[in-house]
Amino acid sequence: MGEQKEGAQVIVVTSGKGGVGKTTTVANVSTSLAKMGYKIAVMDLDIGLKKLDLILGLENRVIYDIVQLIEGECTLKQALVKDKRFPELSMLPAAQTRNKDEIQPEQVKEICEQMRADFDYIFIDCPAGIEQGFRNAIIAADKAIVVTNPEISAVRDADRIIGMLESAGFTDIMLVVNRIQSEMVKKGDMLSIEDLMEHLCIELLGVVPEDKRVLISTNKGEPIILNEHSIAATAFNNIAARLTGKEIEFPTFEENSFWNKIRNLGRNLFPNK
Amino acid sequence: MLNLLKRLFAGDNNSSRKQANDRLRLVLTHDRTATSAQLMETLKEEIIEVISRHVEIEGNPEVTFINEGRRSALDINIPLKGR
Repeated sequence: MGEQKEGAQVIVVTSGKGGVGKTTTVANVSTSLAKMGYKIAVMDLDIGLKKLDLILGLENRVIYDIVQLIEGECTLKQALVKDKRFPELSMLPAAQTRNKDEIQPEQVKEICEQMRADFDYIFIDCPAGIEQGFRNAIIAADKAIVVTNPEISAVRDADRIIGMLESAGFTDIMLVVNRIQSEMVKKGDMLSIEDLMEHLCIELLGVVPEDKRVLISTNKGEPIILNEHSIAATAFNNIAARLTGKEIEFPTFEENSFWNKIRNLGRNLFPNK
Repeated sequence: MLNLLKRLFAGDNNSSRKQANDRLRLVLTHDRTATSAQLMETLKEEIIEVISRHVEIEGNPEVTFINEGRRSALDINIPLKGR
């Protein structure tokens, strides 16, 4: 998986546990890159439980899906849904009424190979779990992004996924921590970025803070990266920029600063406050 | 007052974050090596038994996991009795 092939970089976004923000990450990082002018394809492999079309706000434009493409009912060009807001972004939808066992890793690989020449980045939205759907999603990928939350069960699943990716030959595995709340970390009630790095030991690609605006933009079918006031939007834009090779500093997560010690002193002196 | 200062500079030792870290450290080590706490006990007993068959052990022998990055190793510390 190490060698760089012609054309697009294929990146699988995975997590093990469901509900940590894989699809939200795929949707926002891909639209951010498309906005920068890169040619982007997103492939939804969560067959039977598709979400990416909804998160991207493209659900009404879906005509064909990946299973129909594999079965020869349509061409690749017909199956790809173009996003009118971001002309550089195309989505290959999952099938909703089928299941993950109906497609094989080799078929996904073949579609990716067909697409490589026409795009700069191809993102694969991997289903939760470690079964067939996971194997389908990683087969064609050059790199992997593992999304997790600062929550023990999500971290445990992320660790298992990282182990499986390493066994499959991946050398480029990057971590995105989603929904961190620095206030809770400071109070000693949430795992910190440093804690997660200590446990998972992979390269950090992004840290997305908890942001209510994400749900609001999902309700509307608009990517959060269009919202200038959103702290999550900044985080997703930073992830996209880092993927293109830009070096963007992480905000400091260090919670043992002088002022925090003073604040903690206050808390310890007046525990009920 | 001393306690207060200790808590202030060492961080809250009983925070839920610390508990989460401790539990994760243990469970990830067992996940990665496909071992269990039970197996560790068995290993420890058997290793000590084998050693004590040949040499005399003194004090508290210890068999624990140590982690470096994503790799784990067994740390076996068995003090032997001197003459």
